[in-house]
Amino acid sequence: MNKVGIVSFGSYIPRYRIKIEEIAKVWDEDPIEIKAQSQINSKSVPGPDEDVATMAVESARNAISRWKGKEKDLGAIYVGSESHPYVVKPTATIVAAALDVEKSLTAADLEFACKAGTAGMQMCFGLVKSKMISLGLAIGADSSQGRPRDPLEYTVGAGSAAFLIGSENIIAELEGTYSVTTDMPDFWRREGAVYPSHGVRFTGQPAYFKHTIDSSKGLMEELGTKTSDYQHVIFHQPNAKFPQAVARMLGFSKEQVELGLICKQMGNAYSASSILGFANVLNHANPGDQILLTSYGSGAGSDSFSFTITEAIDNIRPYKYDTQYYLNQCEYIEYGKYVRFKGILR
Amino acid sequence: MEPPKIWREKRGKYLAMGVECSDCMIKQFPFTEKCSACGSENVKEYKLATTGKVLHFSTVTQTTDEMMGSTPYLIAIIELDDGIKVTGQIVDCNLNEAKEGMDVRMVFRVLARNGSEGLIRYGYKFAPI
Repeated sequence: MNKVGIVSFGSYIPRYRIKIEEIAKVWDEDPIEIKAQSQINSKSVPGPDEDVATMAVESARNAISRWKGKEKDLGAIYVGSESHPYVVKPTATIVAAALDVEKSLTAADLEFACKAGTAGMQMCFGLVKSKMISLGLAIGADSSQGRPRDPLEYTVGAGSAAFLIGSENIIAELEGTYSVTTDMPDFWRREGAVYPSHGVRFTGQPAYFKHTIDSSKGLMEELGTKTSDYQHVIFHQPNAKFPQAVARMLGFSKEQVELGLICKQMGNAYSASSILGFANVLNHANPGDQILLTSYGSGAGSDSFSFTITEAIDNIRPYKYDTQYYLNQCEYIEYGKYVRFKGILR
Repeated sequence: MEPPKIWREKRGKYLAMGVECSDCMIKQFPFTEKCSACGSENVKEYKLATTGKVLHFSTVTQTTDEMMGSTPYLIAIIELDDGIKVTGQIVDCNLNEAKEGMDVRMVFRVLARNGSEGLIRYGYKFAPI
């Protein structure tokens, strides 16, 4: 069978941040208690001229500019998000035009709560492995919505991660992928609704934990791997507590999960959450390292992937505009500016 | 702005695609079907450099209705590394942080939104390096 894997990747996180203390001040809530619950210190906020299309383009341009291949070979672009700027008019076509890769390709926008980015990755892996295309681009991007005063307001951020998927000059070879999918009423947003609703504590045990654990275990059983085989493991990050708890439940150490845990600084970027953590791991991992990635999307499902880093990763590193660059570029804003940037003030 | 105009300007706004005259070799922006220097129609697309320096800048406080929500914002003349001068907004930069000679790079941003139901126009702006 032909090999398939990631050939390049790119990140994007907006410059603006708001601290938990700043939001808690508005609602007379205790920031110490909120930070203890979420272990998130601040969340990223898109500027007033940013949306999922602009963030998707920036991450995709970073994936392409650090790579030495031909972007004209792109045969598919998938953009996963739950905050596409248009309900009807694809984000993926804007990305194609902004990369100058129109027009012999297929493209689509995907939605599966916080796992639409990894769903696009699976589609690209399948198309490349079956030789229907030679190169695919999968992006997960979100400008996450959280209702004012809802617990989500403290944690939902914004960002994008993009992955070029191919069969030549692979930097992270795919060993296998495995998914679990059920109908789960844990988190939803109806047509025309501005903010999502959720089942509060119900989003934990039967939803996030059950799907993440079953998918991760399912993949490891299928591949015959064990937790100690992996140098790094990345889970979806609605807060910093859940991925650390699920890592413990599966038998992973704190060290295995630490590098991919970037939500403490930027919050939960929904479709970009687990894959931005994965991008941060790719910026630091060594050839030969094995990596387990498991996303979670409400509604619900998880996609798990097992990768091995190859020597080719050093051909695309170091790169100035990596995940850490965007994490470091941060300006803290007050709540008034936050509501203006988010379009809450109209 | 009407859909045909947005579509026609797409390569210029998204990709900063200008034109190079194959006869007199002059590079120009935005795209034109005729060289403005020698009148030749023998022109081809030319992609502008994506980094440059701020030559002059100003703060915009009064503008068109679709841009008023963004005021005050920085507008600048940028000399790109290929010598071509373009006008563009400076973003990710507070009003008191802008400086002449500042190094900038092109980023992809929303240029304007036509209300809550109309089209969104995208294109290049500049961010400090």
